[in-house]
Amino acid sequence: MHQRTVPCHFFAPQKIGKALEILTEYGKEIKIIAGGTDLLIQYYDRLYEINGWLDLKNIKELKEIKIHQNQMEIGAMVTHTQLEKSEDIKKYFPVLRHAAADIGSPQIRNRGTIGGNIVNASPAGDLLSPLMAYDAQFKLLSLQKEALISAEEFFIGPKKTILEPAQLLARIILPMPSERTYGSWIKIGKRKALIIATITLALVVEMDEDNKTVKDVRTCLGSVAPTPIEIKEIRKKMVGKNFNQLDFNQLGQIVEDKISPIDDIRGTKEYRKDVAKEIMINALEEIYSARRERDY
Amino acid sequence: MSKLTIGFIINGQKKIIETTPSTRLLDLIRDDLHLTGTKEGCGKGECGACTVIMNGGLIASCLVLAPQADGAVITTIEGIGSGGHLDPIQKAFVETGAVQCGFCTPGMILAAKKLLEENPHPTEEEIKRGISGNLCRCTGYQKIIDAIKLAANRLSSRDGGRGEKDA
Repeated sequence: MHQRTVPCHFFAPQKIGKALEILTEYGKEIKIIAGGTDLLIQYYDRLYEINGWLDLKNIKELKEIKIHQNQMEIGAMVTHTQLEKSEDIKKYFPVLRHAAADIGSPQIRNRGTIGGNIVNASPAGDLLSPLMAYDAQFKLLSLQKEALISAEEFFIGPKKTILEPAQLLARIILPMPSERTYGSWIKIGKRKALIIATITLALVVEMDEDNKTVKDVRTCLGSVAPTPIEIKEIRKKMVGKNFNQLDFNQLGQIVEDKISPIDDIRGTKEYRKDVAKEIMINALEEIYSARRERDY
Repeated sequence: MSKLTIGFIINGQKKIIETTPSTRLLDLIRDDLHLTGTKEGCGKGECGACTVIMNGGLIASCLVLAPQADGAVITTIEGIGSGGHLDPIQKAFVETGAVQCGFCTPGMILAAKKLLEENPHPTEEEIKRGISGNLCRCTGYQKIIDAIKLAANRLSSRDGGRGEKDA
């Protein structure tokens, strides 16, 4: 009969509380694993270095998408496939849905999770600019405290976040958008499937009750800076203005001027700047058409 | 490395097996269960050669730890068709010449199986998206797409694709 002589370092608790206890006890010694679609690639040839795993797969409440008190709550273990197929996400957060549908491949979308995408904090993480554009907040839990952090505060550099070793990202909270909210998602890459984005844009525009005046706008980009970023100057230029009278070209130019991309294997700095302007113009045009369709 | 025992159902059979926390599901399937129809290509989730169906979803078994499959229901290529009787999808791959070197074929067939389960009448675009996680380096995509169309037609015909006996 098999006797366990060494403590087995694979934890798969069913409750968040238990997961937090394990994290507090083992902290940096163990890796939290969600879908594994980033982690197993990162540790492809050195899985032996990992002393233990905390798998969140059995915690049911982390797999739910639900509307609660005029907020959308998405559990950290919700997969990209779940996001793509959810009727509520499709209806209220179409930019997030499109971004999830563009990730990797069916195999990756079935395993990869929204929480993993966030915590991995790649500057090219596909869900990050849409989450920022929808004003997401992240609920971080530890045994001692509960914290609600905005996407903007959470990311501090490439693959760097403020998450502490004993903390767990439990939930993503999005305010429900008003009925006159429009969005556009554009991902540029060298092929359709299984591509790390060269540049992404998530544009979300909220109109006033007249459906013409811009009430709020969030212009968020990925792969153009150390973290996903919002171009706040766009808000200054658009809020309070009649959408029909905006100079799309000028707005595109602002995006081009305000980003700080680097040269890498996916594209040069110049390329990214040129493309950023063009996709901003395209996104504005898309919203222009969608809004007119609703009017007539 | 410490050991642990996991259990799952694979191709309809219950298995209880000892493994380690950092063993990949792919290695468990190939080396411990000797189901070598599942291939390792890139090892990084990009080629789809290691595709299996787990809990109803297509997954890359190189990106799953074996203990993560504890309690799961898994289908590998060995669980499609039986002995001398090919699944209609396998038969269509043979007939259209969609198999050349064969390395991508198990993953392609599982991707096609999953696609046709969810969408029995896919368009060409939907087929392409369904197999977008699977690479073929013999440049056989057109024939693979033809095979999936043929299988879809047969499966939706009156006999459900089961009528013809294989030689």
